[in-house]
Amino acid sequence: MAEFLQYVITGLAVGMVYSLIALGFVLVWKSSSVANLALGQIVLLSSWFTYGMLTQAGFPLWIALPLVILFALGLGWVIERFTLRPLIAQPILALITVTLGLGYFIEGIVHFVWPWSVAALPRIFPQSVVHIGPAVVSQEYLWVVGISLVVFIVLTLFFRYHRMGIAMRATADDQKAVQACGIPVTVVFSRSWMFACVVAAISGILISSIGGITYGLVETGLKAFSVVILGGLDSFGGAMLAGPIIGLAESVGGGYLTPVLWAGVKDIIPFIMIIIVMVIKPYGLFGEQRIERI
Amino acid sequence: MSLPCGTRNYTYADDMAIMRTRTHQVLFIVFLVLLFTAPYYLGNYWLGVVNLIGITLIAALGLNLLMGYCGQLSIGHAGFIAVGAYTTAVLTGRFELPFLVGLLGAGLMAGLVGLIFGLPSIRVKGFYLAITTIAAQIIIIWVINHWSLTGGFVGIKVPYASIGGLVFRSESSQFYLIMTIAALCTFCAKNLARTRVGRAFIAVRDNDLAAEVMGINLLYYKLLAFFIGCFLAGIAGALLAHWIGYMQTEQFSLTESILYVGMIIIGGLGTTLGPILGVVFIRLLQQVLATQIVPFLEETMTFLPSGFATGIGPMIFGLAIILFLIIEPRGMAHRWNLFKSAYHLWPFSY
Repeated sequence: MAEFLQYVITGLAVGMVYSLIALGFVLVWKSSSVANLALGQIVLLSSWFTYGMLTQAGFPLWIALPLVILFALGLGWVIERFTLRPLIAQPILALITVTLGLGYFIEGIVHFVWPWSVAALPRIFPQSVVHIGPAVVSQEYLWVVGISLVVFIVLTLFFRYHRMGIAMRATADDQKAVQACGIPVTVVFSRSWMFACVVAAISGILISSIGGITYGLVETGLKAFSVVILGGLDSFGGAMLAGPIIGLAESVGGGYLTPVLWAGVKDIIPFIMIIIVMVIKPYGLFGEQRIERI
Repeated sequence: MSLPCGTRNYTYADDMAIMRTRTHQVLFIVFLVLLFTAPYYLGNYWLGVVNLIGITLIAALGLNLLMGYCGQLSIGHAGFIAVGAYTTAVLTGRFELPFLVGLLGAGLMAGLVGLIFGLPSIRVKGFYLAITTIAAQIIIIWVINHWSLTGGFVGIKVPYASIGGLVFRSESSQFYLIMTIAALCTFCAKNLARTRVGRAFIAVRDNDLAAEVMGINLLYYKLLAFFIGCFLAGIAGALLAHWIGYMQTEQFSLTESILYVGMIIIGGLGTTLGPILGVVFIRLLQQVLATQIVPFLEETMTFLPSGFATGIGPMIFGLAIILFLIIEPRGMAHRWNLFKSAYHLWPFSY
């Protein structure tokens, strides 16, 4: 029982990290219907940038974090302005592959500037453990859960009440109608990418302060896609709910299947979940199923 | 369309001919002669590069059928190539079956695995399919890494290819094997695209609902595209395995899959010429980078942290994909066609 509880708690905590990354994806999808396949690489780049600010340049935390946020805003603007804006109204194949190319390019930049494959961020959060019944969880994970929830609430409120949020929802619904109403669609796209990069940077800082910066972050980004798929592409609530589900499946499944199957089965459970969701309910739990017309 | 001045098609056979004029035929024969005498004037090193280009071309042709003609995005192509490579490695290495059995088995096995992962394509497309194929790639590589039959992380040794008593040991003998199969595959791919099947693929790509309304069986054609595309990937994988002689899963990473997508985008989606140009461009660029530019930069720019040059490759390829998508989404094949019509009409450009 203690073992099971431990798996559950670890799974939930890891799942919240996936949720946080997934929020960045949903943000872009909701406003511009662009699938951001470079998510993992953006997380990787912002983690390394944090490392550069904190360790290499030696800034204290209160200077470094605003700099990272600024960097993420700039990154989002550059990405939208130079890769996605020229491709507005192009076929979906081009939009998907351009983010693939972008991810590849960002990975190249990371290799170029920080050729080491591993680095550790200074620990930001207290590390003492918390006991929940017989299970033990690191306090860092609780911070991650808290911050994920805060980001989720802020985004939900933003999309519900803020002018820009409403404009983003409207843009997702009908771009031409929005333009006719006098809302600059390009600004909406640009903002959504900037915010998405900030969310990615926050999740990057959180993950790499716990687990260090490795190229495994790219794979973590890929795992976040399973969250997006399960929760539905355009639902923040879906991402928040699906993250812990994927985390639980990964942790519990990995814990009990490893003796039966091969070691490391944990790493592919999210991807098997993707295939299962695709076959059973491709638009996810809360995703909107778009009906196509010829 | 791009016929030389004064050439008209009077019969259906004329219209369908691949090589329309005498010049075409002569140029084609000259090209074939030049290609198949390559071992006599290329050194062993460049012959190896050409072999790699040939193998990559076979896989890229498969991806082009799947993605360029049928419009089904696949970002797991390296995974399907790995299926082929390991199938032949197991069949010929462990069970000591003949090479031809390994080659066909590799194609069929990769095709079947492709069918399984292609199943979701009936209900979803676009981004969903991209994610499914990424998942396929990761699951395939994971299984290969952990299954004792495939040698796991250690890798597996593959014997030389042999047909009858003929063993393809040297670089030049393998060149003939690879180039023959590559030429055959190019020919088949070119012709497949002109048949009912190819036209059905194009209809599915342009609008799958409209295609279904017109009586095209979506299930059949989408799965057929997956099967053929992955079959070619399997063949390429088998040749790669016999050519290298030792298989490890690092050769089939996700970045390799992205590179394949990049190759056919740079070359030109949905053309036969496209994959050829794209593959040659990317593989040659890789060679030049690895042998010339990277050592040069490492020597001259010592103020940068050591090992920085590993990032140059991904940066250039990523940039190439982005730039081609923005500036010339129809790829190098389209540029080539523009050039052809320009010189046909030269000096009067109307």
